[in-house]
Amino acid sequence: MTDLFSPANWEWITSGNNLRFLFEGFFINLQIAVVAMMFSLIFGLLLALANLSKTRAVSVIARMWVDVWRNLPLIFVLLFFALALPGEWYSAWEDNVPAFLPRAYQNGRILAAIAGLVFYNSAVMCEIMRAGILSLERGQGDAAASLGMRYWQSMRLVVLPQGLRRMVPATVSQLITLNKDTTLVSIIGIREIVRHAKTVTNANPFTADFVKGPPLQVYLAIGIMFIIVNFALSRLAARLEERERKPAEIMVTGLEDQVA
Amino acid sequence: MGDYWKILSNNFPDYLSGFLTTCQVVGASFLIAMAVGLIVGALRASPSKVLNRIGFVYVEFFRNIPLLVLIYLVYDGINQAGIISLDRFIAGAACLGLYTAAYVAEAIRSGVFAVGKGQFEAGLSLGFNEREVLTKIVLPQAIRTVIPPIGNLIIAMTKNSAILGGSLLAINDILLETRRIYNNNFKLYETFLWATIGYLILTITMTVVVRRLESRLAIRR
Repeated sequence: MTDLFSPANWEWITSGNNLRFLFEGFFINLQIAVVAMMFSLIFGLLLALANLSKTRAVSVIARMWVDVWRNLPLIFVLLFFALALPGEWYSAWEDNVPAFLPRAYQNGRILAAIAGLVFYNSAVMCEIMRAGILSLERGQGDAAASLGMRYWQSMRLVVLPQGLRRMVPATVSQLITLNKDTTLVSIIGIREIVRHAKTVTNANPFTADFVKGPPLQVYLAIGIMFIIVNFALSRLAARLEERERKPAEIMVTGLEDQVA
Repeated sequence: MGDYWKILSNNFPDYLSGFLTTCQVVGASFLIAMAVGLIVGALRASPSKVLNRIGFVYVEFFRNIPLLVLIYLVYDGINQAGIISLDRFIAGAACLGLYTAAYVAEAIRSGVFAVGKGQFEAGLSLGFNEREVLTKIVLPQAIRTVIPPIGNLIIAMTKNSAILGGSLLAINDILLETRRIYNNNFKLYETFLWATIGYLILTITMTVVVRRLESRLAIRR
């Protein structure tokens, strides 16, 4: 314990650019999480609609697709994409990416990182959205039909606006999971916070005048960054859940894969 | 198709040992997660404010930190600080178990609160003592509501066990064995298909078992 809190072990935090470097890495994680979440919402909705499709072949295939991606470890999916995407895509990306973006984005493997996160998370989002839509009473769809609406009209005007509102809290919880999951992209070589932390713990010839950080303290520091942001998000999710829950209203919860 | 079978038959012992290692890690983590989760869940459900706070800090710490960062913190951090030297398997199972325990604790807490104060009071007014109320009325109901969410947590934990093989711990689980086999033959789809099937066997079997338990234990009101 004395080792953990002795001031000598925390000197690195004020030395040089160490702390700024960690924050830059953390910011990259947050950006990746937001981008992946946006794509996952779009593809998740398409998958949910396919799942609920009246055409049996479509719904069966969508069901299988979602069950496979949801049941694989995310890190396995990321590794697969890192190896599966053609090398030309990586070089095409690396040639065309604007130079002002951080180093994480200069690496073509960012494509594999986003692809892996989106394939996995869109399957999870699909489950959340499907439950949101199914939680509406059948009467809603029937009423829309009796008013002369077609299937897509009733989906767009009646079912989706109500069903999707119910999944907002679950989506925020999933964003917490996704935020934690972004650290896994370090395994396929993206320079985000975990890699930045590694740099801070190693003696670096370019930063020889900086004090290098002991691993225990450095990883604790980045852990705390995640805890602060994710704790705030979890409070937000709880708030939303409470506010949206009118007496008769049902919320979709527990479908987000909380552990990841 | 021939390639797929050839990869499997040539590397079957490696796949199998990876599969068994994953099962071992999951088993060890399961025991840790349940033991610690029960204790922390009890803290969270206790009327004492101090105990409650301790449980709260545990849950929020382990729930909001990425598992990968936790692994670095425990393995790299503690080893290099020279406090104790940790075995890779023990460090991995401990990280995964303690991480999952936070979720288990929350599931247990909400299960206990779902039973409702009225049940407790009704039991007391019927002349049961506190221990009888707890063991005969509250817990039997709480366990039923808690089993499905805990089952889902164990499935998620199984998926998370791949992080142990992929990270610096390098436990020889399905993921690491698959990477090794791939590095010997560079046949991506053939190699990864069998690992996919290995993971799906684990997760889908667990899902089926959880659903069974759920429908058997469901309280029909």
